[in-house]
Amino acid sequence: MTETGVAISIDRVRKSFGDVHAVDGISLDIAEGEFITLLGPSGCGKTTTMRMIAGFEEPDDGTILLRGTDVVGVPPNKREVNMCFQQYALFPHMDVEKNIEYGLKLKKVPKGDRQKIVGEMLEIVGLAGMQARKPNQLSGGQQQRVALARALVNQPAALLLDEPLGALDVKLRKAMQLELKRIQHELNTTFVYVTHDQDEALSMSDRIAVMNQGVIEQLGAPREVYEQPATPFVADFVGVLNAMDVRVDEVAGEDLVMKVSDRDRIVVPVGPAGIDAGIGSSLLVAVRPERVELIVGEPTTNSGSRLSGTVRQVVYLGTLTQFYVDTAIGKRLIVHRLSDDRSSAVSEGDEVVLTWARDDAAVLSGVS
Amino acid sequence: MATDTTTDAPPEARVDIEAPPRRRKRGSWRATSGLLATPMIWLIVFFVAPVVMVGLYSVGALTLLRLDDYLSLEHWQFFLASDTYLGLFWKSVRMSLGVSITAVLLAYPVAYLLALIAGTRKYTLLLVIIVPFLTSYLLRVLAWRVILNPQGVFQSFLRSIDVLGPEQQLDWMYNSTFAIYLVLSYVWVPFVALPIFVSLESLDHHMLEASSDLGASRLRTFWTVTLPLSLPGVAAGFIFVFIPTIGEYVTPQLVGGPDGFMFGSAITSAFTAGLDWQFGSAMAMFLIFAVAVLLAVFGRFLNVRSVAE
Amino acid sequence: MNVAVSNNGRRWLWGTFWLLVVFLYAPLAILLIFSFNDREFVSFPWEGFTLRWYRTFLDNPAILSSLRTSLEVASITAVATTVLAIPASIALVRRRFVGKGLVSGMMLAPLVIPLVVLGIALLILFNAIGIPFSPITISIGHIVIALPFAILTLAPRLERIPAALEEASRDLGAGWLTTFRQITFPLMAPAIFSAFLLSFVISFDEIVIASFIAGKEVTFPVYLYSQLRLPRQLPQVIAVAVVILLVSAVVVITAELLRRVTDRRLEAATTAQEEEVATA
Repeated sequence: MTETGVAISIDRVRKSFGDVHAVDGISLDIAEGEFITLLGPSGCGKTTTMRMIAGFEEPDDGTILLRGTDVVGVPPNKREVNMCFQQYALFPHMDVEKNIEYGLKLKKVPKGDRQKIVGEMLEIVGLAGMQARKPNQLSGGQQQRVALARALVNQPAALLLDEPLGALDVKLRKAMQLELKRIQHELNTTFVYVTHDQDEALSMSDRIAVMNQGVIEQLGAPREVYEQPATPFVADFVGVLNAMDVRVDEVAGEDLVMKVSDRDRIVVPVGPAGIDAGIGSSLLVAVRPERVELIVGEPTTNSGSRLSGTVRQVVYLGTLTQFYVDTAIGKRLIVHRLSDDRSSAVSEGDEVVLTWARDDAAVLSGVS
Repeated sequence: MATDTTTDAPPEARVDIEAPPRRRKRGSWRATSGLLATPMIWLIVFFVAPVVMVGLYSVGALTLLRLDDYLSLEHWQFFLASDTYLGLFWKSVRMSLGVSITAVLLAYPVAYLLALIAGTRKYTLLLVIIVPFLTSYLLRVLAWRVILNPQGVFQSFLRSIDVLGPEQQLDWMYNSTFAIYLVLSYVWVPFVALPIFVSLESLDHHMLEASSDLGASRLRTFWTVTLPLSLPGVAAGFIFVFIPTIGEYVTPQLVGGPDGFMFGSAITSAFTAGLDWQFGSAMAMFLIFAVAVLLAVFGRFLNVRSVAE
Repeated sequence: MNVAVSNNGRRWLWGTFWLLVVFLYAPLAILLIFSFNDREFVSFPWEGFTLRWYRTFLDNPAILSSLRTSLEVASITAVATTVLAIPASIALVRRRFVGKGLVSGMMLAPLVIPLVVLGIALLILFNAIGIPFSPITISIGHIVIALPFAILTLAPRLERIPAALEEASRDLGAGWLTTFRQITFPLMAPAIFSAFLLSFVISFDEIVIASFIAGKEVTFPVYLYSQLRLPRQLPQVIAVAVVILLVSAVVVITAELLRRVTDRRLEAATTAQEEEVATA
């Protein structure tokens, strides 16, 4: 990232409320045009971080640069970012047009231009012709779009979105996710998105910052965060996963190997975690349920991990079927498979073999 | 890089404009004090300061009239040694107690009805109860004077239907303690109903159902669940009547006759009739202390919000 | 089965309720009826309908002047109280600051001060600094006692206006003054109106403070109080009383209904944003 390409630069920012360290030293560079998500449970500091970018909270310490200018101490109305609020915060006493043109009016844009811009904006968010409606005459999804239009109409350096889809039902949320992505692409605006919903984060973001207790636990592309969680927290928060304690018995080139039995083994890559793990060391290793193959009989490949086990429970989840398998390492693993003929043939009590590729295993931490 | 959290990014890579941390707080503090300045100054100058002055004046640290004593506890000593004036204070306390209890007893069943039984009409019916409270206090007292006095509406009506002889009158009805209690309770009932209503309304109906589900009778549910949980509202209503009534002298004077000479009347007459301002100030300060003690004891029940809605 | 009451209990409670309503309204009704009685004394027998008490009070300069004074005092009080209460409630509801408990305690303290004490306190203050008594001094005292009521009217409404609306306005480029004018004030307006009316009514009705620090121009309650010992004046005083009673009742009910309607509208507007109507 070059300095000119950075929309927002957060450096060692801290914020406490009384004794609570809401944000405890966060640094983050957000590129122009990037879609970045702050993901974490409530109270992790993601909303506080966003509110500090917007100017509603001032950091106790650290700097926030907006396109290279320090904005700490600058009131929110003088900052070139706009925000989409959780409950949309549409002005209930103004119609859609008045809501959207609010920012333009303050910038003293002439009336004719304002109307034109509002019309264009409504076009973009798919609400053409809705100018005269009052917010309470709109559905939640429509209100969401108005809020988006109102924030985008000022062409902000970055758009901050605080759990914008939280109030929508599942179906609508999926649709709005695509819609947001499209709009972001169309306008090429930097989006900073706050959510506690990992699916949302994974499906929309260029990068995800997973936050916990005021710090960023991991920053990376969705795939990285999902497949190579850096910490147990990330692994746990970003999705269901199987964590196993692995004692290294053998180092074979790039592989760390735990021999469970003659045939069963767990193979972990040396690489990504960069952990100095020699023979005899213990690791916490995780694998995603959908990355695990479930085979009745013998597997065809002989690379990667392999564990034999007994199916304890089968749970049908619609498209997916979830298997609970007691394995040779004494740990019950969860496996997700598509609900097809092959998976429906497996039933409780069956002896199976679980396999996964070496790179599907993520080392969460060195235990000792 | 899967584990890059950038937390450890080299600081020299950034344009460091170290802002002094203070700068950040000042704006918000200035806004808050800007909002609070005028009302706070108003209350300090016209509320706190005058009350402090009453205190100073009562011990002569401040003098106003020619005959005022300079630095003297004489007025306090006289007051605290005087059976008459302390007696008036306790008389006022008894009156407040009687009136508050009466008002609570009258208001409770109605608040109970409105909060738990009346259903959707409850707010409208509550308004019906409240409206008289929002009309003129003095005029409501005047109405009772017109009704209760010996030549008034009620007794003249009794005479016109020959229940009462032409020269007969009901002495207990007017210029009496009865009249004071009646009128003051009348004045305060609507106000007491409010906090009780609020506390009962916020009761979880399911809790009552659970109680009856566990086999408790309605009466038992009331005694063990409903009443204890509504006590904060009762206490709030009680105290909000009790406090203004201790200093009350207008109504007692208007309908109580000689019986209506209260502690508040004594304070007033020290200022109007006797020109004994310092003595009056000592009594006023005593009243303030009494109220402060009451608030210290019952203050935790005073969720002012419950009255506001 | 209703767990709160049995059928008999219900009947008994409704009976109590209507008895209380009669108890509360009968004195006012009697005042109203007897203000039309063509008799020098406010009592039985009924000697026919007359409007003469209403006519005579209109010719009574003392009554009219006291009413004028009261209107003046109440208007000043209502305006000043509202102006002070708005920033106070914004600070109490919206701002975080050290000593908030203390400040709000102080703002509400006038609720519990015996009026007779405040009356003499102001009497001593104005004497000490040499300010002559006038309608203004009365207003000064009335503002003190009306302020907590105004704050308690404004604060709950302000709490129902999501702070995010003001933040959105700031975020879109509005300064705090513009935000107040464009967003906060319009949404608070009904409560501001209620606070204004409430302060007005409190001041118009107040007698204790007014009797301590009134100058030559007395307010209507003070005048009324002084006239109560003169039975001859009573019928026309009652006529004024009835007029005031009716006007204040109408004003209070209108204000309350207005407040409810607009509250409900605000509620609808803000909760509609929270609940999803999946029709997009």
